Amino acid sequence: MRKTLGIFSLLVAIFLLTGLLESNFFSKRSYFFDGGNIYNMAKWTGLFGILAIGVCFVIVTGGIDLSIGSLIGLTGALFPLLLVNKGTPVWAGFAIVLLLAASVGLVHGLLITKLRLQPFIVTLCGLFIYRGMARYMTGEMNQGFGNSFSGLRQLVKFKVFGFVPMPFAILVITGIIAAVFLNLTIYGRYLLALGRNESAARYSGINTDRMVITAYIICSLLAGVGGILFALEQNSVQPSTFGNFYELYAIAGAVLGGCSLRGGEGAVVGVVCGAAMLEVIRNAVIFLDVKTESEFTVIGFVILIGVTVDELVKRFSDRQGAIRRQKEVVDSP
Amino acid sequence: MKSPIITLQDISKSFGNVYALDGVSLQVKAGEVVGLIGDNGAGKSTLIKILAGVYTPDSGAIRLKDQPVTDWNASRSRQSGIETVFQDRALVVQQTIVRNIFMGRETAGSSASLLSRLGFIDHKSQYAEAERLMRDIGFTSEVFTPDSIVGTLSGGERQGVAIARALYFDAELIILDEPTTALSLTETEKVFSFVRNVKASGRSVVFIGHNIYHVFGIADRFVVLDRGKVVLECTKEDYQTPEELIGFMQQVAQSEGGTPSGSSEE
Repeated sequence: MRKTLGIFSLLVAIFLLTGLLESNFFSKRSYFFDGGNIYNMAKWTGLFGILAIGVCFVIVTGGIDLSIGSLIGLTGALFPLLLVNKGTPVWAGFAIVLLLAASVGLVHGLLITKLRLQPFIVTLCGLFIYRGMARYMTGEMNQGFGNSFSGLRQLVKFKVFGFVPMPFAILVITGIIAAVFLNLTIYGRYLLALGRNESAARYSGINTDRMVITAYIICSLLAGVGGILFALEQNSVQPSTFGNFYELYAIAGAVLGGCSLRGGEGAVVGVVCGAAMLEVIRNAVIFLDVKTESEFTVIGFVILIGVTVDELVKRFSDRQGAIRRQKEVVDSP
Repeated sequence: MKSPIITLQDISKSFGNVYALDGVSLQVKAGEVVGLIGDNGAGKSTLIKILAGVYTPDSGAIRLKDQPVTDWNASRSRQSGIETVFQDRALVVQQTIVRNIFMGRETAGSSASLLSRLGFIDHKSQYAEAERLMRDIGFTSEVFTPDSIVGTLSGGERQGVAIARALYFDAELIILDEPTTALSLTETEKVFSFVRNVKASGRSVVFIGHNIYHVFGIADRFVVLDRGKVVLECTKEDYQTPEELIGFMQQVAQSEGGTPSGSSEE
């Protein structure tokens, strides 16, 4: 909880600081604080946040998923291909794409648990395979909805209550479900326990393999949802590049949000804040006239500083705990 | 006379060409603490894994409360009230005491409400149950609560959490795998105190260790293993000091066949 509060405070601080610096402390009009810009930031936070929540489940088990970006490329290309070129009904398009995404997660999970392959390798192979599949399936042709499916595109264009971007609303709903699952149900506890000490979890009678497989299915399923939403939002899917590096944004958001790559640690609210922070930083680069070429450098440094501070705070609080403990031993009769 | 909880008769287990256990018999009665002693490679781990149902013996018989058992496995062992606290595999130290106590059986004992069936946790009742279990074994402190992180506890207190966890599972027999290894004297005494409280509640404990002073301090009866065989079964009346027992074990180690002349097995 303290960690999540810290991440939230940092997000608010960066947000305010960027706006203040950009407007020269309100001496001129702030475009950063403009409603349109905030709407855009919320929309992109929604899109990337969904991916970050998905990868959070996998990271909590001590795993990783590098195939998210390519899976977004595959599902993002397949969805318009089915609807526009093949004339598939919308419901069937959703079903096929999400089933494909879930199956990908199932295969990842089975390879990692039953064959004991490294998550890094399995999903790295996935990264190549799904990108290749997207390119082969579409013949490298750009995919999109053109001017049709305007009703369907409301999934990303609609403003809830007149001002909340739909992707952000989807993120909030996904986040609530994910947070309830992780914090209030036994399955969430199983995931956290196995991420920290798999042997202890297994010896306690938890079916750890099943839980790991579930985590990979959730991650890929949310990547599939992301693929559909990104495709609807951008309306132009270039199979060779669509979704490139998105896995890194998702992982970075999750890690910034408090997930430990060692496993067993992660809070959904923190992950949402992490995803929002990435978006705010990207905006800060633009609005503070930092050269846009240095966007990746800035993001990289911010993440590095964030995880370093987190590690130092953790060590400090562990040391304080040990001192308190020692004091109790000394004081005890 | 106390009734036996479990009896192992003539148990043998080999891994390839290596005989880990060779005709070992062991009986644990209600309310007793059995000390299982032996050097590394003596067969202690294999024996407790057979008790825990993790390994199936190659030959021999297992009797549960005097009834023969044929389908012995980990789940059957647990259902029969046998809980094993493995050395490094017992706890998730980054999680709270209450989470550790209920790990793997979160819904057990809770009401059959819809939320419970959907997998929702009743933290309030788990917290109260954890407090009760900790109190029962004398595991109390002003500093920590069931919501304290296990990693902040001392080694002895962590064993307390593991024992409380076993008690929650209604264990009749708790197997403690080297629970005092690397613990200070004070911490070892804490573990002894937990074990005494378990014994006072009528339950049994198999206490495994290679530090004879530790095992001697807590066990009612000793079983000494050497190279896969039971070389001695005795009580404190037979060997009144740890040094006498150590003397016997040194004799065993020096003897060629692994069993010194005059041992109870011969």
